[in-house]
Amino acid sequence: MKKRLTLIALLFLPVIAMAQKKAEVRFQTDGVCGMCEKRIETALLAIDGVWTADWDRESHETYVVFNPKKVKELALHQAVAAVGHDTPQVKAKDEDYAKVHACCKYRNEDVTKSHH
Amino acid sequence: MYRLRYFALLFPFTLFGQVDTTLYSRLQIEEVVIYEAANGLSINSKSSTLQVNISRTELRKAACCNLSESFETNPSIDVAFTDAVTGTKQIQLFGLAGKYAQIQVEMTPLVRGLLSNSGLNFIPGSWVHSIQLTKGIGSVNNGFESMTGQINVELLKPEDLVEAAEAPGAEGRGDIQLNAYLNQGGRFEVNEAYGVRINKKWMLSSLGHFSGRQQATDINGDGFMDNPLGYQVNGMLRARYFGQNGWEGIYTFHALEDVKEGGQIARAFAPGTNTESLWSSAMKQGRVAFTSKMGWVNPDNPNQSVGTIFQLYSHQMKGSMGSDLPATLHSQWGGAQNGGLAQILFQHGWGTLSQTSSVLFLRDQYDLSITHPMLGQGQPWVEQGVGLSSEWTWSPLPSFTAVGGVRYDLHSIAGHQFSPRFHLRWAPGEKHTFRFNAGRGFRMALPLLEEWGRLASQRTVEWFQYGQVLGGDILSLETARNFGFSYQWSFLLNYMTGSLQADAHLTQFSKAIIHDYWTPGVRAIYPTQTQFGSERPVMTSATWGASLFYHVDKRTELRIAYRFQDLQAMYVMPNPIGGDYGRMLSVPFVAPHRMMAHLSREFKGDWTLDATLQRYSKQPIPGIDPWAWPSVDYAPAFALLNAQIRKDFAHGDLYLGLENVLNIRQAHPIDGAMDPQTGSPLLPSDPYFQSNFDATRIWGPIFGRMVYLGTNIVL
Repeated sequence: MKKRLTLIALLFLPVIAMAQKKAEVRFQTDGVCGMCEKRIETALLAIDGVWTADWDRESHETYVVFNPKKVKELALHQAVAAVGHDTPQVKAKDEDYAKVHACCKYRNEDVTKSHH
Repeated sequence: MYRLRYFALLFPFTLFGQVDTTLYSRLQIEEVVIYEAANGLSINSKSSTLQVNISRTELRKAACCNLSESFETNPSIDVAFTDAVTGTKQIQLFGLAGKYAQIQVEMTPLVRGLLSNSGLNFIPGSWVHSIQLTKGIGSVNNGFESMTGQINVELLKPEDLVEAAEAPGAEGRGDIQLNAYLNQGGRFEVNEAYGVRINKKWMLSSLGHFSGRQQATDINGDGFMDNPLGYQVNGMLRARYFGQNGWEGIYTFHALEDVKEGGQIARAFAPGTNTESLWSSAMKQGRVAFTSKMGWVNPDNPNQSVGTIFQLYSHQMKGSMGSDLPATLHSQWGGAQNGGLAQILFQHGWGTLSQTSSVLFLRDQYDLSITHPMLGQGQPWVEQGVGLSSEWTWSPLPSFTAVGGVRYDLHSIAGHQFSPRFHLRWAPGEKHTFRFNAGRGFRMALPLLEEWGRLASQRTVEWFQYGQVLGGDILSLETARNFGFSYQWSFLLNYMTGSLQADAHLTQFSKAIIHDYWTPGVRAIYPTQTQFGSERPVMTSATWGASLFYHVDKRTELRIAYRFQDLQAMYVMPNPIGGDYGRMLSVPFVAPHRMMAHLSREFKGDWTLDATLQRYSKQPIPGIDPWAWPSVDYAPAFALLNAQIRKDFAHGDLYLGLENVLNIRQAHPIDGAMDPQTGSPLLPSDPYFQSNFDATRIWGPIFGRMVYLGTNIVL
């Protein structure tokens, strides 16, 4: 009986999760490589209310699904900028940009070129 | 330099592992390391075989310790004990023993010959980089022994350790990895991995392991230890070379010693009892091996490459079981296996068509002996062979791959063996993948010693044939063909990824060694083969299963799996009037219905929870009714729940777990060990012990709930 209850509980998890309201947003984010991707996605996923986040290396587009009741869209931009990546709404501070690894210096033309 | 490294990464695909090439994409961009695959378990939809990659992330979810235990969270593989005294765990794929899968370490044989019984216990889990599990027959170039599937284990290579330490973002994390583990049953373990870069071309690494158990436990009070005492010292030194003009190599020296002693505990008996002739088991194994692998990729044409593998090994074992009283079946055995292999692989690609061909020389010198009241055999023999294989891959469209391979072996015992294999993959759309495979494989059995743990019994051993029960002649040849079909659906539900996978596999043996326990008090071992003019296989495994993987949200992963397995073999029914009849019966120790649920959740503050529930249905085991044939009992259905919490730190992690949370135990795993009236342990001199002792009717856990604690540290 205990086992059956656990199983039923497991099956209902997705249903509970689906009941939340979600919004989608896409915005350009400067970056170059897989390391940038990981940094951007990790920063977004760490926010409460962000459901999923994906940065595309080809199009430089960030795709975020989030719960607008829990998190404002601007907060997403701020989170990305805080780890050193520029978005249309928030430019990363120089000291945050300075922290990204040498190979991720997207403001440097030599670096962006070497990734193509 | 950068250019050369880029070429080097193409080669690992054939020789230095079967790892998904996307893992090597890190090498395409200088100094970028994607160190771990995001998913613990992943199926590569581009691969023509149904291959599951088990990453290091996934291995951390398993409680402990070595390879035989690392499949705990994998729905395809079962872990079973051979007996209740030696603590040897073996894996099953499609219900068939692990020996019918081809188990390799970096494409060199591991579970083979004398290592068939305990080879998996000799690879510590914390040395493992990743495991590739292929369901269905494997590539012809990897050898003839793949009958149900293939398991390849990639160990930590020097570059894995060195590059992790050199990687950006590894601030302060160094190149020494340490692991320590302790459990309630008294098992402790210490592992080490260290890598160092010597210069631009050379890197070195060492892998070390020490484990043991000093404190005997007897939870069920039957006078026998729940697990044997002993130790294992295991070490590996590796050198890695990345040279000029497309050359690379890896050289590995491996040595180990393993000692296990189990049996009755003197303190379990009343003070003053004469405990001189207690039942005991002892096993000592040692192995030394050297492996060299070299590869060259044509710098002018990266589609051309050549690889060589050389391996030399020497394995020794010495064991005994029983009590020194003449009325108990006391057995002693010893063995040595010295051998090696040499293989050359050629690879060439022309756009949509590519081929890999190989020439393999294999030589094993065995010297085995056994003394047992019913059997006294011993003989040296040599097994050697040449294998030629060629495999062609045609991939005209991204959605379609056809692989055809043939293998011809000229084997000193098996003679001419021809093994064709065929794989097909069709992926209409990105979301659906269909796969089909068919092929044939064979192996040489060591009928008695590859399951030496099953000697822990008063069952008489019967070998009906004139040949050697130890192996080394044509009677020990086992052959099988395998067919498999699978479907995989990747979906996006509620913005999260998931996949559904269903597969069916059929394995048919035309020659097999049967271990027959259907007559109480007797263990009969005999080879059977499909009769001339009949197509009827002598052993079949038919399985189908479905599994669902789903990321419920960004921190939660759920897996649910079900599998049905029907394993039958042709048993010979003894007939007192004369003439024996073969009958197809279900093979014991295989649960026909298996279910698994796994939940993994990350919490804030780097906490992770993993829980796995496994359910085994009722399964047939040898019975004790002397008047029936077959004498079958059924072990009850049971469920095992394992749970673990882990806290990650900047320099490693700490984990605390509970194995077998529901505290399921087989109350009396050893027959005849206890007095049926008083329940007190019996000495081997007791007639009840002598007529009933049997530690091989084991189907469930002995120890029950167990707490363990471990840590990984990166310095």
